[in-house]
Amino acid sequence: MKLTVTDLTAGYGKAQVLFGLGLEVAEGELVALLGANGAGKTTALRTISGLLKPWSGSVALDGQSLLGVSAARRARLGLGHVPEGRQLFSLMSVEENLLLGAAFLAWPSKSDQLERIYALFPRLAERRGQMAGTLSGGEQQMLAIGRALMGKPRILMVDEPSLGLSPKLAEEVLSTLSQVKKEGVGVLLVEQNVALSLEVADRGYVVEHGRVVLQGSTQELASNEGVQKAYLAL
Amino acid sequence: MDLLLQTLINGILAAGIYALVASGLALAVGVVGIVNFAHGEFSMIGAFVSYLLFVGAGIDPLISLGLAALVLFLVGAITYYGLIRPVLAAPELNQMLLTFGISVALQNIALLLFGADTRVVSTSYQGATIALGGISFGVPPFAAFVLSVGLLGALYWFLGKTRLGFAVRAVAQNRLAPGLLGIETQQIYLLAFGLSAALAGIAGVMLSVMLYASPTVGFAYTLKAFAIIVMAGLGNLRGVVPAAIILALAEAFVSTYVPGGGGWVEAVFFLVIFLALTWRSWRLS
Repeated sequence: MKLTVTDLTAGYGKAQVLFGLGLEVAEGELVALLGANGAGKTTALRTISGLLKPWSGSVALDGQSLLGVSAARRARLGLGHVPEGRQLFSLMSVEENLLLGAAFLAWPSKSDQLERIYALFPRLAERRGQMAGTLSGGEQQMLAIGRALMGKPRILMVDEPSLGLSPKLAEEVLSTLSQVKKEGVGVLLVEQNVALSLEVADRGYVVEHGRVVLQGSTQELASNEGVQKAYLAL
Repeated sequence: MDLLLQTLINGILAAGIYALVASGLALAVGVVGIVNFAHGEFSMIGAFVSYLLFVGAGIDPLISLGLAALVLFLVGAITYYGLIRPVLAAPELNQMLLTFGISVALQNIALLLFGADTRVVSTSYQGATIALGGISFGVPPFAAFVLSVGLLGALYWFLGKTRLGFAVRAVAQNRLAPGLLGIETQQIYLLAFGLSAALAGIAGVMLSVMLYASPTVGFAYTLKAFAIIVMAGLGNLRGVVPAAIILALAEAFVSTYVPGGGGWVEAVFFLVIFLALTWRSWRLS
């Protein structure tokens, strides 16, 4: 499966955020979407997953346009999204949160999926009966990713997983994402932590003012002078 | 001693139907996020459905229960789709004005169609009583209580154990995530509001036997249901049953032990709202 975004423009009310953004993510690769605060990364994800209506441009899965397709249907087509702020069901247990991830996407295989997620995040297995709202920030992030993975997405978009986490925990979460990639899922990672994302990603896009200004393999990006200056503080 | 026991039993029996109406309202408030002032009018429609079926076709209210549930589910679904859905994103005041308007409109349509008279579904078992030692209670309130307990059990089972019930609870807790997990939130809202109206409608059928059907019969139940869900914590379904028991017992005790208490019963819900809000704000500060 391949996610293709072309010439996407979108915004809130009259404020335009995306100015012709384009990108591609295929199964089995980890792609980083980099950029400063307010560059439009989160808006891009929200538009791709159908939470926000695009003004123009297209989002397509395997060449099939998703215009007018609801967020829920996009999820059923195999597009996963771990949104900003995690958006957990805080009054439900860890296991209930995970089960909801599979409820309408992969219900028949829920037990296998649970096992898989608990293997990926052993900490969640320890806390399976605990209310999601009482977890630490890192555990909540793991739960949010685990919940999205329960639905067996083919392409998974993850918004700022390292936000508010200790460097060690952030690394742990990102390395799990590269493991997810190795299982064949396409991962689109939005991150402000550029150095860390360049370590795990295969390639990346740099977004400024709602458009892609630079793209390439992680080696190319890491050795680019502009990137080094703006994001890596070298 | 008998008087105390009798009062307790009267209270508990009344609590069943209160919990039924209030659970419906809690679904509307907690899941759909709409403060529905027309909730009692769904009960009123249920009461008239029962009355018309009884007078027109001789159908027993026990059978009307299912029919009224179906009719009210449809009424609720149509109300949601046509009227509530367009204002979901509007400010709360607009939503309240809308549901208040629906309430007034439904009451007056009923007044136009049936007049202001109270109409009782007089079944053969309406006056029957069960006597146990020194206490006695009517068959209809007892049957209504048993049915309510059964229905609430079914509702909790649905919400707690089924995949769809899971989705309903999920939507109540987070508006954004369910869509990303393949849950069509609009359909869940529709289902929840339909269920909410169906629960009120079933309670209305019970009212048509225990009380009467009239255009304004539902209004008192809107207010009582609000008192209960305020006590339970808005939208908190789990607290509804204990809160309903507290309100019903309070009413029963006022009616028995306060001189001239019969006239004060209908004001008890107001005291309960007042105390619940005061206690909540004390606990928070």
